[in-house]
Amino acid sequence: MRSFRMPRFALAIPAWAWLLVFFVAPVAMVVWFSFGYKPGIFGTHANDVLSFDRYLEALSPTFFQTFTNTLWIGIAGTAICLVVGLPVAYWMAVKAPPSRRGLLLALVMVPFWTNFLVRTIGWQVILAPEGWLSTALQSVGIIGGPLDLLYTRGAVLLGVVYNYLPLMILPLFVAFDRVGDPLREASKDLGAGKARTFVRITLPLARPGVIAGVLLVFIPLMGDYITATVLGGAKGNMVGQLVASQFQTAQNWALGSAMAVLLILVIMLTVAIGGLLVWLVTLPFRLQNRLVLGEPEPAASVAPRSQEVAA
Amino acid sequence: MKQRSWSDVALTVWSVAVFLFLFAPIVVIILSSFNTGRLLVSWGGFGFDAFLAIVERPVIRDAVWVSIQTGAIAALLATLLGTLAGIAMARHPGKWALWFIGLLLLVSVTPEIVDAVALLPWLVLLGQDAGLSIFNDGIVRLVVGHSLFSIAVVSYIVRARLVGLDAQLEEASADLYAKPFTTFRRVTLPLAMPAVLAGFLLSFTLSLDNTVIAAFVQVSGTTPWPVYVLSALRSGLRPEIAAVSTIMLVLTLVALGLVALVLRRAGDSATQIARTMTGS
Amino acid sequence: MSENRPHVRILASTSAAKIISSELSRRRFLSFAAAAGATGLLAACSPGGATGTAPRATGGELESDLSIYTWGDYDAPDVLAAFTDELGPKITLDSFGSNEELISKLVAAKGTSGYDIVVPTGVFIPQMIENGLLSELNLDLIPNLEYMDPAFLGRAWDPQNAYSICKAWGTTGFVYDKTVITRELTTWADFLDAAQNEASGRMSVLDDPGDLTGAYFWANGIDWNTTDEDELAAAEDFLVNTLAPNIAAFDSYPGGSAIPQGTHVLMQSWNGDSRLGILESPDPDRWQWVFPGPETEIWMDNWAIAAGAPNPEAAHAFINYVLEPENSLAELDYIGYHTGATGIEQAAADAGLPMLDLVFFTPEQIDTMREGEVNEAQQRRVDIWNKTKAAAGA
Repeated sequence: MRSFRMPRFALAIPAWAWLLVFFVAPVAMVVWFSFGYKPGIFGTHANDVLSFDRYLEALSPTFFQTFTNTLWIGIAGTAICLVVGLPVAYWMAVKAPPSRRGLLLALVMVPFWTNFLVRTIGWQVILAPEGWLSTALQSVGIIGGPLDLLYTRGAVLLGVVYNYLPLMILPLFVAFDRVGDPLREASKDLGAGKARTFVRITLPLARPGVIAGVLLVFIPLMGDYITATVLGGAKGNMVGQLVASQFQTAQNWALGSAMAVLLILVIMLTVAIGGLLVWLVTLPFRLQNRLVLGEPEPAASVAPRSQEVAA
Repeated sequence: MKQRSWSDVALTVWSVAVFLFLFAPIVVIILSSFNTGRLLVSWGGFGFDAFLAIVERPVIRDAVWVSIQTGAIAALLATLLGTLAGIAMARHPGKWALWFIGLLLLVSVTPEIVDAVALLPWLVLLGQDAGLSIFNDGIVRLVVGHSLFSIAVVSYIVRARLVGLDAQLEEASADLYAKPFTTFRRVTLPLAMPAVLAGFLLSFTLSLDNTVIAAFVQVSGTTPWPVYVLSALRSGLRPEIAAVSTIMLVLTLVALGLVALVLRRAGDSATQIARTMTGS
Repeated sequence: MSENRPHVRILASTSAAKIISSELSRRRFLSFAAAAGATGLLAACSPGGATGTAPRATGGELESDLSIYTWGDYDAPDVLAAFTDELGPKITLDSFGSNEELISKLVAAKGTSGYDIVVPTGVFIPQMIENGLLSELNLDLIPNLEYMDPAFLGRAWDPQNAYSICKAWGTTGFVYDKTVITRELTTWADFLDAAQNEASGRMSVLDDPGDLTGAYFWANGIDWNTTDEDELAAAEDFLVNTLAPNIAAFDSYPGGSAIPQGTHVLMQSWNGDSRLGILESPDPDRWQWVFPGPETEIWMDNWAIAAGAPNPEAAHAFINYVLEPENSLAELDYIGYHTGATGIEQAAADAGLPMLDLVFFTPEQIDTMREGEVNEAQQRRVDIWNKTKAAAGA
C-alpha cells in the first residue's frame, strides 16, 4: 500500500462524484427553489425575487401544526419501537437458545421482504370496522360497537411501529449479543441482582445499538407519509404529505422546497437535542461506571494502527 | 432443569406476542390471495383466481420484473461505490474522510420525500434541457433514486467491518512485494466480503421497497411494483396484489434460505451476518 | 481491560485469515458479480422510457406498448384486455386523484412522463393546451367518433375536438350509511350538517380542491366558481375551522374500499364510484346515494394524448377502440358513468345493467348541475384544500 501514488481518497472518488451529481446538486437546487415563489397557475417556481417568505408561509399556524404532529408521531413511534423491541432483542440475544437465533433473526427480517404498502393494507383489513378483529372483539364482549381504530392517531402509531420495529430490533440484538455472558456473570458473582446487572452492565454496553436503532427508526419515520395516510387517513397527515402535495398537486415548488428544507432541519435538530439530552442524563452514570468497569474501546485501539499503515 | 424465573417467562411471552404482531398482516395477505372477490378487502370466496389473473395479466409481472431489475442494478452499483468508499475511509483516513462522513450523514438524514422532489426536476433538467437522453430512461432514473441511501449504508458497513479488523494482513502482503492491486484483490476485498454481501442484500431490500422516490421519478412503462401497488390503492386493491405478495414472500424465503446456507458454509453465523448488516 | 487488546487483535486476524483462505467465497462472489453485471448490461441496452417529442400519429404500425394515466378504476379490465388481444399493444395503467395531480406530473416531467393517453376534466383542457401539455389528435384515425352523441362533442373548452374526446361525464354527490344516519339527507347543507353531527370523525371528502370547496359553495347557494375574496375567505374559515376536525379521510375513491369495508358512514363521492362501491358491498341496502341539491357539479372527462407520448399510434387506436358502441357499453357497465355515446341509455336499460339511476340523470337534475371553471381562484382553492388537510390532521 505504501507505493500508492494516488491520493488517499482515490477509492472514494466514484461515490463522491455520484453523490455530488445525484444528491448534492439536486438538493442544492431545492434549497435554491425555496427562496423563490410561485409565479402563476401553471408556473412551478420563479427565482427572480429572492426571499424567506416561503419559510414564513411553511411555518404559518396551519402548517406548523403538521410539523408538530409529525414530530409527535416520530418521537412517540420511535419510543414505542424501543420499548417494544428492546425486550425482544434482549430475549433473542440472551435467553433464546443460541441454535435458534439465526432463525429468529430471519423471522424479524421476513416482514421486511413483503412490500410495506401491502403489509399496511393487511392491517387495514384487520382493523376495519367490519373486519374480523372487530367481529371477534365484539363477540367476546370486549368492545360494544364496531372497532373504531382505523383513521385515528392510534392507527397511525400502530402502522409506523409495525413498519419500523424490525429496524429497531436488529441493531439492539447485535448490541446485546456483543455484551456477552462473561460480563453479566461477573456482575452477578459480585453480588448484583438481575435488574441491577441489566441496568448497570448490559444496557450501558448496549448503548451503541440503542442509538443505532433509534436513528434507523426515527429518520425514515419522519419522512414517511404513506403508512400514516393509509391507516390514519386525515389524521395521518405528515410533513412528507405536505411536501408531496405541494409538488404533486399545488405545483408550488417554492413552498414545497421550503417545507422540505425545514423537514431536514427539524430532523437534524431533534437528533442533536436528543443526543445532547441523553449525554447529559447519562453523564453521572457513566462517570460512576468508569471507575468500576472502564469503557471498552476497541475502535480507538485500532484506529491509530491503521493510520500508521496508511502513512 | 433449572426453574425459569417469572421475568424469563414474561420476556418469552412478550417476544412471542411481538412475533405474532409482526406476522399478523402477512397472514392476512396470504389468506387474501385466495380471495375470489373483486376487491382484496371484501371476501368473495376461496379460489385460485388471483393466481390465474397474474398469469393472464402481464402488467403485474412487468412491474415486479422492473423492481427486481432495478433492485439488482441499484444494489450492485451501491455496493461497488460504497465498498470502495468504505475501504478508503477505513484504510486511508484523513481530513477528507471527515468531510465524506459528513456528506454520508447528510444523505442518511435526508428523508426520501426530499430526495424525490429534488431528483425529479434534476433528472428532467439533465434529460430534457441538457439533452442527456439516458436520464429519460425509466430504469436509469429508478436506479439513481434508489442508489443514494444505499451507497451511504454500504460505506458505513464496509468501513465498520474493516476498522474492526487489523491492517497487518495488508501490510504483510505489501511486504511480500504484492502489487497494490493484488493486495486489494486478494486481501482487502476478501476481508471486507461479509460486509459487502450484507450491504448488497440490504441495498436490494431497500430498493425493492422504495415507493416515495420511485413514485416521483418513474417513467410510465417502467413502473416498479411498489408504485403499481400505490396506484392500485386508488382504485381498490385486487386479490392479485396479495397473490403476487404471497409468491414473492415464498421466493424470498427460498432465497433467504439459500443465502443462509451459502454464508454458513463460508463460516459466518447468522449473528455475524446481522452484526455486519448493522455495521457494528 | 487493557489485557483484552492483544486478545482482540488476534481474534480479528484469525477470523480474517479464515476468510482469506477460503478461495471458494471469492470465486463465488466473482461469478455472482459477473452474472449481476450481465443483468445490468442487458437492462441498460433494452429500450424504455420516452424519447423526446414524438411525431404526430399517421396511422402507421402500432407500437407494442401503451401507457394510460387516468382516474382510479376508470376502465373496464375486459375492454383493456380485449384491446391487447386484438391489436397488440400492452397497456400500463397509472392513476391520479385530481386534475391538479395529473397536470403537476406532466409539467414536472416536461414530456418525459412516458404517458400516452391522459384523461383530464374538460375545464382544465384550455390551459393544458396553452402550456403544451397535450398533443393534437389526428381525427382521421378515430372514425368511431361518429358513434358519439353530438351533445357531448364540441364543448366550449375544445370546440373542434382537436385535442380531446369525451370519455365519460358524471356528477358529485354523497353516500351515507342508513343504519347510522337515520334521517333523510337530500342537500349539500344536510351533508355538511351530518358531517358535524352523526358522522363526525367518520366521514370522508373527495381529495380534490374543487369538490372540497364546492361542497361549501353549493350548500350555501354560492357560485362555486366564485372569485370573490370574501366568499373564498368564508369557505376557508368554514372548511379549516369547522369541517376539518370532523374529517376522517380525504378519499377520492370511497367505492374502492371504504364503502365495501364500511369504514365511514358519510362519504362525498362521484356517482360512478358510489355505484361501484355499493354493488361491491356485502350489504348494499345499508347505503344511500344522494344526488344533492340545490346545485352540484357536472364534469366531463376526456381522452387526450400527452405531449411527448412515446406511442401515439397505439394511443389513437385505443381511443378509437373504446368508442365502439359495444366497448362503450362495457365501459359504462364497469365504471358507472355515461360515456356520451349515442343511444347508450337505451342500450344499458336493454342490457339490464344494475343501478342505472346512479348513471343517467333526468333533464331536471341536469339543470341543477354546474360546470367548474379554472379561473384566478384556482390557486386559492388549492391553498384552502391544503390547509384543510393540515387542519384535519391536527
